[in-house]
Amino acid sequence: MHIPDGILPLPVTLGGYAACAAAVFFCLHRINMRPDPQADIPKAALLTAAFFAASLIHIPIPPASVHLMLSGLLGVLLGFFAIPAILIGLFFQAAMFGHGGLTTLGINGVIIGFPAMAAHYMFRLGTLGQQGPKQTAAFAFLAGSLAIMLSVLLFSLLLVTAVPADLGAAVEKTAIVMIIAAHVPLALIEGAITAMIATFLLRVSPRVLHGV
Amino acid sequence: MSCRVTQPGSSVLHRMDPRFRLVGLFVLIFAFSFVSDFRLLAAMLAFTLILFFLSGLPARFILQKLKLPSLIILVLVLVLPFVSGQNILLDLGFISLKQEGLYASGLIAARFLCIITTVMIVLHTAPLLTHVQAMRAMGLPWIMADMALLVGRYLEVLGSDLKRMHTAMRLRGLNSSRPGLYVLRTRAWLCGSLLVRGLERADWVYRAMRLRGYGHSRAATSQFRATALDMAGLAAALMAAGTVMGLEIWLGL
Repeated sequence: MHIPDGILPLPVTLGGYAACAAAVFFCLHRINMRPDPQADIPKAALLTAAFFAASLIHIPIPPASVHLMLSGLLGVLLGFFAIPAILIGLFFQAAMFGHGGLTTLGINGVIIGFPAMAAHYMFRLGTLGQQGPKQTAAFAFLAGSLAIMLSVLLFSLLLVTAVPADLGAAVEKTAIVMIIAAHVPLALIEGAITAMIATFLLRVSPRVLHGV
Repeated sequence: MSCRVTQPGSSVLHRMDPRFRLVGLFVLIFAFSFVSDFRLLAAMLAFTLILFFLSGLPARFILQKLKLPSLIILVLVLVLPFVSGQNILLDLGFISLKQEGLYASGLIAARFLCIITTVMIVLHTAPLLTHVQAMRAMGLPWIMADMALLVGRYLEVLGSDLKRMHTAMRLRGLNSSRPGLYVLRTRAWLCGSLLVRGLERADWVYRAMRLRGYGHSRAATSQFRATALDMAGLAAALMAAGTVMGLEIWLGL
């Protein structure tokens, strides 16, 4: 769900950077308001590295396999660190594997980061007060699926409407519906995996689930 | 974490200050993404080739790096000529090749190749963490810089932890190619274990960092020193970007 370099026109990529810069500014401001922001940096960084490594895990879906994105869970666990963490992850992916891009770093940050923050708020509000296994699993499922579906929606809208080609309204609509429909099973799998990881963390190490 | 394939000092690009290299890189790739006139593709390709020869990197290495990203864009480039536009170039009955789609497809492919090649060339002339340090020296917020350096440092550590855990699970009889709820749950527990390990390790890392003075003083001096070569390199990148953008505007009038 990364838009590669060269597809989007310059105003869109610069707009992505502007939106992402505003989001990062807001997140860093909230982090700096904490009593000891430095203490949380290693936690956020090592969880980011763990997410990066975990995203390489493949789930077999015959005849192929898919890799996990875990942006919903990342949002749930990292909170205001999520958008900086996603940008760092995207930079490393672009530099190491050429996956995504540097001109599209901002726009990809918006596509993955904003839904991750939405997942964070949804999970925190849903599990406010009590954290039973069923409630945690339900809201983790919703957070995982919601993050993927919002990302797919943003991705398809941007890809279809901003690509420098005359597609026509009907083709654009069909393409958006097709992209979203193709990702529904992935969103369900991500939701299920997120719920399973959240219940595992609740049982094994609840402090991880409380986030950074 | 080092992606470098040649030794420092082995080419002009390697000898450049990473800060100047990064600024030049961003200016060039954004100028390339501004191109929408087909006539400018030759200029864009020429600048990319010049950069490649200046880097001294082996062609095979760059081609290898381009393989995976190119596959991702291939679908779009193959589909666009058949779904976009009105002017039909070739009618095959059930499907037709259209001029506008072919134009857009060529433009996207050329822009993508030039940008990704430029990125790969520039970022592989030094370890990735050197570029992160250069970004910090240029004003990247300290929270992001510290996070990026730690992510870079522990990515391989946690990656090998994951590999070890996965091997242990396979030795205990996990059939990872079989689809189903069992494999999904095992994968989830594997991810969960990795996250727990990551957070536990973070506690030790923070204590070790505090003992080494982390957080006591943030007045770090820059390790980078600019020379005339860096100024000249950046000026050349700015001129190349200015030429591409100027011609794009002029041709569009």
